[in-house]
Amino acid sequence: MRDPANPPAESPEYPPELARLPPGRHGLPREFVSHNQRERLIAGLAEAVAEHGYAGTTIAHITRNAAVSRRTFYEHFASKDECFIAAYDMVMTELRRRVAEAFDAEEEWPRAVRAGIAAMLGFLAAEPHLARLSMVEALVAGPVVVERYDAAIQSLAPYFAAGRKDLPDEILAGLSPTTEEALVGGMVSLISRRIFADRTEELEALLPDLVEFTLTPYLGSVAAAEVARAA
Amino acid sequence: MAAETSEQGYQQVTVADIVRRAGTARNTFYENFRSKEDCFAATQEYAMTAALERVVDAAGAVERWPQRVRAGLAAFLSYVAAEPALARTCMVDALSAGPAAVEYYERSQQAFVSLFRLGRDVSPRGADLPETLEEAIIGGVFWIVYQRLAAGEVAAIPDLLPELVEFALTPYLGAEGARRVGSGDADGPDEAPDAEL
Repeated sequence: MRDPANPPAESPEYPPELARLPPGRHGLPREFVSHNQRERLIAGLAEAVAEHGYAGTTIAHITRNAAVSRRTFYEHFASKDECFIAAYDMVMTELRRRVAEAFDAEEEWPRAVRAGIAAMLGFLAAEPHLARLSMVEALVAGPVVVERYDAAIQSLAPYFAAGRKDLPDEILAGLSPTTEEALVGGMVSLISRRIFADRTEELEALLPDLVEFTLTPYLGSVAAAEVARAA
Repeated sequence: MAAETSEQGYQQVTVADIVRRAGTARNTFYENFRSKEDCFAATQEYAMTAALERVVDAAGAVERWPQRVRAGLAAFLSYVAAEPALARTCMVDALSAGPAAVEYYERSQQAFVSLFRLGRDVSPRGADLPETLEEAIIGGVFWIVYQRLAAGEVAAIPDLLPELVEFALTPYLGAEGARRVGSGDADGPDEAPDAEL
């Protein structure tokens, strides 16, 4: 850690490698931070990218943060890009898992949407450096990552499309096929703009706005606002 | 710059590629731009300014707000379809061209916010609409256009008009009113925002 006055908590939930991750309330599954070198390298990359940006990150930064040799790095990854992709996939897998879990725990679709969005905002707000890696730095990390980024965002569309099955035919007939794509695009643009500007502390306050925005095409704006503002 | 970037991606393009494509000397490039980054910023500014001018002209030629949104969006989509390389550079490649380019991209999106915000005056729910609504609508419109550009489906972009208008206007006018404007059926006089919100 760069801040010796503020050492990370020593507890079984926080193995030493987690200290290599940028600060935040991690709560990540044990696999994410386990003791093997590959994961230390990924954590080392996340820390380096948080400090230097993707373009400014070097293999030396990563190996120093991970406390492994350069040779070990190349045993696991062919390049910085490959290490970044591994980190990106790990963050997105975790984000998707949390969204799915929150969504599935709710019975009614509007509340499930709200829970899913809340889970996403909560994760990104608690992990500002991982948020930056996955939503900002991913865009400068080359075409392979950009393609994955696009696919990851589009993969959120079915959560909204699930609302179609409860709609009366006359509303359904009027709902254009690109509705869900526009909703995820709008939602992500609000989120990534705040991450880009280093204002992740504002993310969770976006919840009511995002819920109203995404439910409006299905429920109308008055009913959408009620779900959005429900405690 | 735009032609090479849209073919190769920003990271891969070199100054040599740009001057070869432009048929100019390397010296000429450096008389006009300090670097590839500088040239990219100029390209981005040129295209965003041109796009915004067309949107403002088209929207300004129409009286009522819902039809203004439709006219502005139509102008935007036809500019994108007419200049796919420039549009791709600004909307797809800008996102990989470093923080300054991303920031410019984000800021130019905001220019559209003021056009949409006028809708609060005609909406029965104007005062209650979420603060970030316009930002989200524009983000959604740009995302759809960006996806079509990234997939090389340029010709289909103007056909998105009815659904994008409907998407953008639904929060202000309700689904039915938004659909009528989107399909061009609401061009008669005295079209009041409907009450089925």
